[in-house]
Amino acid sequence: MADSTKGDAAIFPIDTRFQQMARRPGGVPRERALDGAQRHIDELKPEFNNWLSRELKELAVSIQQVISNPSDATVLERAHQVCCQLRDVGGTMGYELVTFVADNLCDILDAIKAGATCDKNMIDCHMDALALARTDAYRNLRPEQVPEMTSGLRRMVELAIASSARESK
Amino acid sequence: MSSNPTINLRDLVILIADSSSYVRMISHSMLRGFGANKVLEVGQTGALLQTLSAQKIDILLCDARLPPYGGLVLTRTIRRNADNVNRTMPILLMSSDTREVAIKSARDAGANMVIAKPMSPKSLYDRLAWIAFSSRNFVDTDSYFGPDRRFKIEGYPGGVGRRKGDKVEEVGQEVGPALAQDDIDSLFSATRTG
Repeated sequence: MADSTKGDAAIFPIDTRFQQMARRPGGVPRERALDGAQRHIDELKPEFNNWLSRELKELAVSIQQVISNPSDATVLERAHQVCCQLRDVGGTMGYELVTFVADNLCDILDAIKAGATCDKNMIDCHMDALALARTDAYRNLRPEQVPEMTSGLRRMVELAIASSARESK
Repeated sequence: MSSNPTINLRDLVILIADSSSYVRMISHSMLRGFGANKVLEVGQTGALLQTLSAQKIDILLCDARLPPYGGLVLTRTIRRNADNVNRTMPILLMSSDTREVAIKSARDAGANMVIAKPMSPKSLYDRLAWIAFSSRNFVDTDSYFGPDRRFKIEGYPGGVGRRKGDKVEEVGQEVGPALAQDDIDSLFSATRTG
Protein backbone atom coordinates (compact mmCIF):
# COMPACT_ATOMS: atom_id res chain seq x y z
CA MET A 1 0.00 0.00 0.00
CA ALA A 2 1.31 3.45 -0.84
CA ASP A 3 2.66 5.53 2.02
CA SER A 4 2.11 9.22 2.31
CA THR A 5 4.50 11.62 3.92
CA LYS A 6 3.34 14.75 5.64
CA GLY A 7 1.69 17.02 3.07
CA ASP A 8 1.75 14.45 0.22
CA ALA A 9 -1.24 12.61 -1.15
CA ALA A 10 -0.78 9.05 -2.36
CA ILE A 11 -3.30 7.79 -4.88
CA PHE A 12 -3.38 4.13 -5.77
CA PRO A 13 -5.73 1.70 -7.47
CA ILE A 14 -7.67 -0.79 -5.38
CA ASP A 15 -9.27 -4.01 -6.57
CA THR A 16 -10.83 -5.50 -3.50
CA ARG A 17 -11.80 -9.14 -3.08
CA PHE A 18 -15.41 -7.99 -3.09
CA GLN A 19 -14.97 -6.46 -6.55
CA GLN A 20 -13.04 -9.41 -7.94
CA MET A 21 -15.51 -12.01 -6.68
CA ALA A 22 -18.68 -10.02 -7.34
CA ARG A 23 -17.70 -9.62 -10.99
CA ARG A 24 -17.32 -13.40 -11.50
CA PRO A 25 -19.79 -15.00 -13.89
CA GLY A 26 -22.35 -17.30 -12.35
CA GLY A 27 -24.19 -14.82 -10.12
CA VAL A 28 -27.97 -14.83 -9.76
CA PRO A 29 -29.34 -12.65 -12.61
CA ARG A 30 -30.56 -9.30 -11.35
CA GLU A 31 -34.27 -9.80 -11.91
CA ARG A 32 -34.20 -13.23 -10.28
CA ALA A 33 -32.13 -11.82 -7.42
CA LEU A 34 -34.67 -9.05 -6.84
CA ASP A 35 -37.56 -11.53 -6.99
CA GLY A 36 -35.70 -13.84 -4.61
CA ALA A 37 -35.06 -11.01 -2.16
CA GLN A 38 -38.68 -9.90 -2.30
CA ARG A 39 -39.85 -13.48 -1.69
CA HIS A 40 -37.65 -13.68 1.42
CA ILE A 41 -39.10 -10.39 2.65
CA ASP A 42 -42.64 -11.59 1.95
CA GLU A 43 -41.94 -14.63 4.14
CA LEU A 44 -41.30 -12.21 7.01
CA LYS A 45 -44.59 -10.36 6.55
CA PRO A 46 -46.88 -12.64 8.58
CA GLU A 47 -44.65 -12.08 11.61
CA PHE A 48 -44.24 -8.36 10.84
CA ASN A 49 -47.66 -7.41 12.19
CA ASN A 50 -46.82 -9.07 15.53
CA TRP A 51 -43.47 -7.29 15.58
CA LEU A 52 -45.20 -4.00 14.80
CA SER A 53 -47.67 -4.54 17.66
CA ARG A 54 -44.83 -5.15 20.11
CA GLU A 55 -42.87 -2.13 18.92
CA LEU A 56 -45.91 0.16 19.10
CA LYS A 57 -46.61 -1.02 22.67
CA GLU A 58 -43.01 -0.32 23.61
CA LEU A 59 -43.15 3.07 21.91
CA ALA A 60 -46.35 3.94 23.79
CA VAL A 61 -44.62 3.17 27.11
CA SER A 62 -41.50 5.15 26.13
CA ILE A 63 -43.58 8.09 24.91
CA GLN A 64 -45.49 8.24 28.22
CA GLN A 65 -42.15 8.43 30.01
CA VAL A 66 -41.06 11.25 27.69
CA ILE A 67 -44.29 13.18 28.36
CA SER A 68 -43.84 12.72 32.12
CA ASN A 69 -40.20 13.74 32.03
CA PRO A 70 -39.14 15.39 28.75
CA SER A 71 -35.76 16.44 30.10
CA ASP A 72 -34.68 12.85 30.81
CA ALA A 73 -32.15 12.09 28.07
CA THR A 74 -32.33 8.33 28.61
CA VAL A 75 -36.08 8.03 28.06
CA LEU A 76 -35.89 10.40 25.08
CA GLU A 77 -33.15 8.30 23.54
CA ARG A 78 -35.09 5.05 24.06
CA ALA A 79 -38.24 6.50 22.49
CA HIS A 80 -36.15 7.81 19.60
CA GLN A 81 -34.54 4.41 19.10
CA VAL A 82 -37.88 2.59 18.88
CA CYS A 83 -39.20 5.26 16.53
CA CYS A 84 -36.13 4.89 14.31
CA GLN A 85 -36.72 1.15 14.04
CA LEU A 86 -40.29 1.71 12.90
CA ARG A 87 -39.10 4.27 10.39
CA ASP A 88 -36.31 2.04 9.06
CA VAL A 89 -38.44 -1.06 8.65
CA GLY A 90 -41.93 0.16 7.72
CA GLY A 91 -41.27 1.13 4.11
CA THR A 92 -39.31 -2.03 3.33
CA MET A 93 -42.23 -4.17 4.53
CA GLY A 94 -44.75 -2.18 2.49
CA TYR A 95 -46.01 0.05 5.30
CA GLU A 96 -44.91 3.40 3.88
CA LEU A 97 -47.27 5.39 6.08
CA VAL A 98 -45.71 3.83 9.18
CA THR A 99 -42.31 5.04 7.97
CA PHE A 100 -43.67 8.51 7.26
CA VAL A 101 -45.33 8.95 10.66
CA ALA A 102 -42.40 7.42 12.56
CA ASP A 103 -40.01 9.70 10.67
CA ASN A 104 -42.12 12.69 11.69
CA LEU A 105 -42.16 11.56 15.31
CA CYS A 106 -38.36 11.16 15.22
CA ASP A 107 -38.12 14.80 14.12
CA ILE A 108 -40.37 15.89 17.00
CA LEU A 109 -38.28 13.92 19.51
CA ASP A 110 -35.14 15.53 18.03
CA ALA A 111 -36.77 18.95 18.51
CA ILE A 112 -37.58 18.08 22.16
CA LYS A 113 -33.93 17.05 22.64
CA ALA A 114 -32.96 20.45 21.23
CA GLY A 115 -35.18 22.25 23.76
CA ALA A 116 -38.65 22.39 22.19
CA THR A 117 -41.65 22.15 24.48
CA CYS A 118 -42.98 18.63 24.75
CA ASP A 119 -46.48 19.01 23.35
CA LYS A 120 -48.61 16.05 24.47
CA ASN A 121 -51.31 16.73 21.87
CA MET A 122 -48.74 16.71 19.07
CA ILE A 123 -47.31 13.42 20.25
CA ASP A 124 -50.73 11.85 20.77
CA CYS A 125 -51.65 12.80 17.20
CA HIS A 126 -48.64 10.90 15.92
CA MET A 127 -49.34 7.86 18.07
CA ASP A 128 -52.91 7.81 16.75
CA ALA A 129 -51.60 8.16 13.20
CA LEU A 130 -49.28 5.19 13.76
CA ALA A 131 -52.18 3.11 15.02
CA LEU A 132 -54.17 4.13 11.93
CA ALA A 133 -51.27 3.47 9.55
CA ARG A 134 -51.19 -0.22 10.41
CA THR A 135 -54.92 -0.85 9.92
CA ASP A 136 -56.20 -2.71 6.86
CA ALA A 137 -57.63 0.49 5.37
CA TYR A 138 -54.35 2.40 5.54
CA ARG A 139 -51.49 -0.08 5.54
CA ASN A 140 -50.99 -0.13 1.76
CA LEU A 141 -51.39 3.62 1.26
CA ARG A 142 -48.52 5.92 0.38
CA PRO A 143 -48.15 9.27 2.17
CA GLU A 144 -49.20 11.23 -0.93
CA GLN A 145 -52.51 9.35 -0.95
CA VAL A 146 -53.50 10.80 2.43
CA PRO A 147 -52.46 14.47 2.16
CA GLU A 148 -54.82 15.67 4.90
CA MET A 149 -53.09 13.45 7.44
CA THR A 150 -49.53 13.91 6.22
CA SER A 151 -49.62 17.66 5.70
CA GLY A 152 -51.09 18.09 9.18
CA LEU A 153 -48.35 15.97 10.72
CA ARG A 154 -45.62 17.81 8.78
CA ARG A 155 -47.01 21.13 10.00
CA MET A 156 -46.66 19.90 13.58
CA VAL A 157 -43.01 19.05 12.94
CA GLU A 158 -42.41 22.55 11.57
CA LEU A 159 -43.93 24.04 14.71
CA ALA A 160 -41.82 21.78 16.93
CA ILE A 161 -38.62 22.72 15.06
CA ALA A 162 -39.52 26.42 15.25
CA SER A 163 -40.07 26.02 18.99
CA SER A 164 -36.65 24.39 19.47
CA ALA A 165 -35.01 27.19 17.44
CA ARG A 166 -36.61 29.78 19.73
CA GLU A 167 -35.44 27.93 22.86
CA SER A 168 -31.87 27.70 21.60
CA LYS A 169 -31.55 31.47 21.07
CA MET B 1 -20.70 -1.83 -17.33
CA SER B 2 -24.14 -2.84 -18.59
CA SER B 3 -27.08 -0.95 -17.22
CA ASN B 4 -28.20 -3.97 -15.15
CA PRO B 5 -25.07 -5.90 -14.21
CA THR B 6 -25.24 -9.22 -12.38
CA ILE B 7 -23.20 -9.61 -9.21
CA ASN B 8 -22.03 -12.89 -7.75
CA LEU B 9 -22.14 -12.76 -3.94
CA ARG B 10 -21.43 -16.44 -3.37
CA ASP B 11 -18.68 -17.06 -0.78
CA LEU B 12 -18.23 -13.35 -0.08
CA VAL B 13 -18.20 -12.58 3.65
CA ILE B 14 -20.73 -9.82 4.21
CA LEU B 15 -21.07 -8.13 7.60
CA ILE B 16 -24.30 -6.35 8.58
CA ALA B 17 -24.01 -3.95 11.52
CA ASP B 18 -27.28 -2.51 12.85
CA SER B 19 -28.71 -2.25 16.36
CA SER B 20 -32.14 -3.38 15.16
CA SER B 21 -32.41 -7.14 14.89
CA TYR B 22 -35.34 -6.67 12.52
CA VAL B 23 -33.32 -4.51 10.14
CA ARG B 24 -30.54 -7.11 10.26
CA MET B 25 -33.05 -9.83 9.48
CA ILE B 26 -34.48 -7.91 6.51
CA SER B 27 -31.02 -7.09 5.12
CA HIS B 28 -29.92 -10.69 5.60
CA SER B 29 -33.05 -11.90 3.77
CA MET B 30 -32.36 -9.60 0.84
CA LEU B 31 -28.74 -10.74 0.60
CA ARG B 32 -29.79 -14.39 0.67
CA GLY B 33 -32.16 -13.67 -2.18
CA PHE B 34 -29.21 -12.16 -4.07
CA GLY B 35 -27.25 -15.41 -3.61
CA ALA B 36 -25.10 -14.53 -0.61
CA ASN B 37 -24.29 -17.51 1.61
CA LYS B 38 -21.91 -16.01 4.18
CA VAL B 39 -23.63 -13.21 6.04
CA LEU B 40 -22.60 -12.17 9.55
CA GLU B 41 -24.48 -9.82 11.86
CA VAL B 42 -23.50 -7.58 14.76
CA GLY B 43 -25.56 -5.15 16.81
CA GLN B 44 -23.05 -2.62 18.12
CA THR B 45 -19.63 -1.10 17.71
CA GLY B 46 -17.69 -3.36 20.07
CA ALA B 47 -18.83 -6.55 18.34
CA LEU B 48 -18.14 -4.98 14.95
CA LEU B 49 -14.55 -4.06 15.80
CA GLN B 50 -14.02 -7.48 17.35
CA THR B 51 -15.22 -9.17 14.16
CA LEU B 52 -13.02 -6.98 11.99
CA SER B 53 -9.95 -7.80 14.03
CA ALA B 54 -10.69 -11.53 13.92
CA GLN B 55 -11.33 -12.09 10.23
CA LYS B 56 -11.31 -10.67 6.73
CA ILE B 57 -14.62 -9.15 5.73
CA ASP B 58 -15.41 -8.51 2.08
CA ILE B 59 -18.00 -5.77 2.52
CA LEU B 60 -19.57 -3.98 5.48
CA LEU B 61 -23.18 -2.76 5.58
CA CYS B 62 -23.24 -0.45 8.58
CA ASP B 63 -25.99 1.67 10.10
CA ALA B 64 -24.97 5.32 10.35
CA ARG B 65 -26.36 5.36 13.92
CA LEU B 66 -24.75 2.12 15.15
CA PRO B 67 -24.42 2.53 18.90
CA PRO B 68 -22.59 3.83 20.71
CA TYR B 69 -20.24 5.73 18.36
CA GLY B 70 -22.11 5.79 15.04
CA GLY B 71 -21.19 4.59 11.58
CA LEU B 72 -19.18 7.67 10.60
CA VAL B 73 -16.77 7.39 13.54
CA LEU B 74 -16.44 3.67 12.82
CA THR B 75 -15.74 4.27 9.16
CA ARG B 76 -13.03 6.77 10.00
CA THR B 77 -11.56 4.38 12.57
CA ILE B 78 -11.46 1.51 10.06
CA ARG B 79 -9.90 3.67 7.37
CA ARG B 80 -7.25 5.15 9.67
CA ASN B 81 -6.07 1.81 11.07
CA ALA B 82 -3.11 0.93 8.88
CA ASP B 83 -2.68 -2.46 10.59
CA ASN B 84 -6.12 -3.82 9.81
CA VAL B 85 -6.57 -6.14 6.81
CA ASN B 86 -10.07 -4.70 6.36
CA ARG B 87 -8.84 -1.15 5.87
CA THR B 88 -9.84 -0.96 2.19
CA MET B 89 -12.98 -3.07 2.35
CA PRO B 90 -16.04 -1.47 0.78
CA ILE B 91 -18.22 0.25 3.39
CA LEU B 92 -21.87 0.86 2.60
CA LEU B 93 -23.52 3.09 5.20
CA MET B 94 -27.27 2.68 5.75
CA SER B 95 -28.89 5.91 6.85
CA SER B 96 -32.27 7.57 7.20
CA ASP B 97 -30.60 11.01 7.32
CA THR B 98 -30.15 11.86 3.65
CA ARG B 99 -29.52 15.60 3.88
CA GLU B 100 -26.64 16.67 1.67
CA VAL B 101 -24.53 17.63 4.68
CA ALA B 102 -24.98 14.15 6.16
CA ILE B 103 -24.14 12.40 2.90
CA LYS B 104 -21.02 14.50 2.44
CA SER B 105 -19.94 13.65 5.99
CA ALA B 106 -20.30 9.96 5.20
CA ARG B 107 -18.30 10.36 2.01
CA ASP B 108 -15.60 12.35 3.85
CA ALA B 109 -15.37 9.67 6.52
CA GLY B 110 -14.38 7.19 3.81
CA ALA B 111 -17.62 5.39 3.01
CA ASN B 112 -17.96 3.99 -0.50
CA MET B 113 -21.68 4.66 -0.64
CA VAL B 114 -24.73 5.61 1.42
CA ILE B 115 -28.00 3.77 1.01
CA ALA B 116 -31.19 5.44 2.20
CA LYS B 117 -33.35 3.67 4.75
CA PRO B 118 -35.87 2.12 4.45
CA MET B 119 -34.12 0.00 1.84
CA SER B 120 -35.64 -1.91 -1.01
CA PRO B 121 -34.11 -4.98 -2.69
CA LYS B 122 -33.53 -2.91 -5.82
CA SER B 123 -31.76 -0.07 -4.02
CA LEU B 124 -29.47 -2.51 -2.15
CA TYR B 125 -28.70 -4.63 -5.20
CA ASP B 126 -27.90 -1.64 -7.41
CA ARG B 127 -25.58 -0.08 -4.78
CA LEU B 128 -23.73 -3.39 -4.39
CA ALA B 129 -23.40 -3.64 -8.17
CA TRP B 130 -22.15 -0.07 -8.36
CA ILE B 131 -19.44 -0.80 -5.78
CA ALA B 132 -18.50 -4.03 -7.60
CA PHE B 133 -18.19 -2.52 -11.05
CA SER B 134 -16.91 1.02 -10.35
CA SER B 135 -13.14 1.20 -10.36
CA ARG B 136 -12.07 3.76 -7.87
CA ASN B 137 -8.65 4.78 -6.63
CA PHE B 138 -7.94 5.16 -2.96
CA VAL B 139 -6.44 8.34 -1.56
CA ASP B 140 -4.05 8.42 1.40
CA THR B 141 -3.29 11.79 2.98
CA ASP B 142 -2.62 13.05 6.48
CA SER B 143 -6.30 13.79 6.98
CA TYR B 144 -8.08 11.23 4.82
CA PHE B 145 -7.85 7.60 3.76
CA GLY B 146 -10.52 6.16 1.54
CA PRO B 147 -12.12 6.18 -1.89
CA ASP B 148 -11.21 9.09 -4.15
CA ARG B 149 -13.77 11.81 -3.43
CA ARG B 150 -12.77 14.26 -6.11
CA PHE B 151 -15.44 15.63 -8.39
CA LYS B 152 -15.50 17.41 -11.71
CA ILE B 153 -14.80 21.06 -11.16
CA GLU B 154 -16.78 23.25 -13.55
CA GLY B 155 -14.98 26.50 -12.79
CA TYR B 156 -16.51 29.96 -12.73
CA PRO B 157 -19.13 30.86 -15.35
CA GLY B 158 -17.67 32.01 -18.64
CA GLY B 159 -14.19 30.84 -17.62
CA VAL B 160 -13.43 34.05 -15.71
CA GLY B 161 -11.92 34.00 -12.27
CA ARG B 162 -13.18 35.48 -9.03
CA ARG B 163 -13.68 39.25 -9.18
CA LYS B 164 -11.43 41.35 -6.95
CA GLY B 165 -14.45 43.15 -5.57
CA ASP B 166 -16.19 39.96 -4.46
CA LYS B 167 -16.52 39.86 -0.70
CA VAL B 168 -16.53 36.73 1.36
CA GLU B 169 -20.08 35.98 2.45
CA GLU B 170 -20.88 34.40 5.76
CA VAL B 171 -23.53 31.81 5.17
CA GLY B 172 -25.47 29.80 7.65
CA GLN B 173 -24.80 26.16 8.30
CA GLU B 174 -25.86 24.03 5.39
CA VAL B 175 -28.77 21.83 6.29
CA GLY B 176 -30.66 21.15 3.11
CA PRO B 177 -33.53 18.88 2.24
CA ALA B 178 -33.36 15.11 2.25
CA LEU B 179 -31.75 13.82 -0.94
CA ALA B 180 -33.24 11.15 -3.14
CA GLN B 181 -31.12 8.01 -3.66
CA ASP B 182 -30.10 9.15 -7.16
CA ASP B 183 -28.78 12.42 -5.74
CA ILE B 184 -26.90 10.49 -3.04
CA ASP B 185 -25.35 8.30 -5.74
CA SER B 186 -24.18 11.33 -7.71
CA LEU B 187 -22.35 12.72 -4.64
CA PHE B 188 -20.31 9.51 -4.58
CA SER B 189 -19.60 9.33 -8.31
CA ALA B 190 -16.13 10.72 -8.86
CA THR B 191 -15.89 12.19 -12.34
CA ARG B 192 -12.29 13.28 -12.26
CA THR B 193 -9.40 10.85 -12.18
CA GLY B 194 -5.76 11.46 -12.21
